[in-house]
Amino acid sequence: MSLIPQVLKSLKTLPPFPLVAQRALLLLNQPEVSIQELVDIVKFDPAITANILRISNSAYFGLRREIHSLHQALLLLGTQELLKIIIASGATRVFCRPTPGYFTERLGLWRHSVSCAIMADLLAKELSLAEQATTFTAGLLHDIGKVVLSLYVDQKFTQIIEAVESQNLSFQMAEKMVLGIDHAELGGEMARLWDFPDRLRIVISLHHLDRPEAFADDLVLLVYLADLLVLMFGQDLGVDGLAYQGYPEVLRHFQLRERDLERILLKFGSNWQEAQILFGLMGNQDGVQCAHRG
Amino acid sequence: MQIVVGVADMKVSNQPEDVLVTHALGSCIGVAIYDPVSRVGGILHYMLPDSSLDPVKGQENPFMFADTGIPRLFRECYRLGAQKSRLLVKVAGGSQVLGNQEHFQIGRRNYAALRKIFLKNNVLIDQEDVGGNKARTLFLEIATGNVWVKIMGQNTKPL
Repeated sequence: MSLIPQVLKSLKTLPPFPLVAQRALLLLNQPEVSIQELVDIVKFDPAITANILRISNSAYFGLRREIHSLHQALLLLGTQELLKIIIASGATRVFCRPTPGYFTERLGLWRHSVSCAIMADLLAKELSLAEQATTFTAGLLHDIGKVVLSLYVDQKFTQIIEAVESQNLSFQMAEKMVLGIDHAELGGEMARLWDFPDRLRIVISLHHLDRPEAFADDLVLLVYLADLLVLMFGQDLGVDGLAYQGYPEVLRHFQLRERDLERILLKFGSNWQEAQILFGLMGNQDGVQCAHRG
Repeated sequence: MQIVVGVADMKVSNQPEDVLVTHALGSCIGVAIYDPVSRVGGILHYMLPDSSLDPVKGQENPFMFADTGIPRLFRECYRLGAQKSRLLVKVAGGSQVLGNQEHFQIGRRNYAALRKIFLKNNVLIDQEDVGGNKARTLFLEIATGNVWVKIMGQNTKPL
């Protein structure tokens, strides 16, 4: 029995995407973003401003001077880095719900999303692709469909995992088979409702490369690869484990060999530690908890 | 006390109240060794098969790689009184994404590297739970030498 009508109905009560992050998303399409535009977006949101200062001062961004003001942060970090921080600060509100269909711990999906954003960022640098903030954001939001689908995956988990195990299906294909819709497709619907830029919506809905058009955009392939590498790294794994399809043509497309993947994982291992601070975006208490996680 | 072994990390102990745990192994491998007489044990969680990838990193953090990490795990346990002939060796992790056998094979290479090192040094694996596409968490209880694997989304089982 398909649950599609039920799942789509639940989108009617979807809370709005945080306004500040949404306005920042629209700037991703612009070739040039002025500092004033960014200041205008964040200045009325004290929580995000505080986050920006805290993250700007984290080791991940490696600034030597301590930053005290928004303006100073903007000048020192540059607009691309700032866009990442603003979007991450806003998006955290969407990811703060538990997703028991996928993760046993409350922050599991957020941790995976942050890891994937960092991995996408790293891959973009390795492959000398431009559009850093877009890449980071696409990595961060690729699994947004899990926020809503979790409830239904949780209800039908036994059937889904049985399909994965007995038919050797990917977890996403098994979702589609059992529920009638998978987290990528649903994420695409959410992106539509939230007026995300088209390209971001496309990455979200195609990030498991289950349709031929996925191979038309490097950004889709890059986020797919980042996701896979993060799964291999471990640490942020959910109940779906590594049950996703590996497509060698993506490696050929980016001219990456197995040895390159190892090298990238090695680099990610060092970045990942420093990036833990981003988990603390969720507010003080969680921040402390996450900072001490192994 | 629960002691967490991070990624590219190792912990050894001879304190009976300790439980060593390493979380969410993907392609990485967790090796648990234990000497039931001296009650010394340790867990290594390494990420990659071979330090020739980056010898400097291998020196900075030997626990990153199988070839530099595994000897250190054994040596640290010997230092606390473990003896090679008595060691129980259990291995978990090395998962893979779905697809063909030639790509995205870090899990498989991680396991192959371990087998090679063990073969060369006459070490036998007593139990293992390796491969597939699951996320695993590995526990070692120092008081008893009991080892468990928890597969994410399933029950914990003894290994």
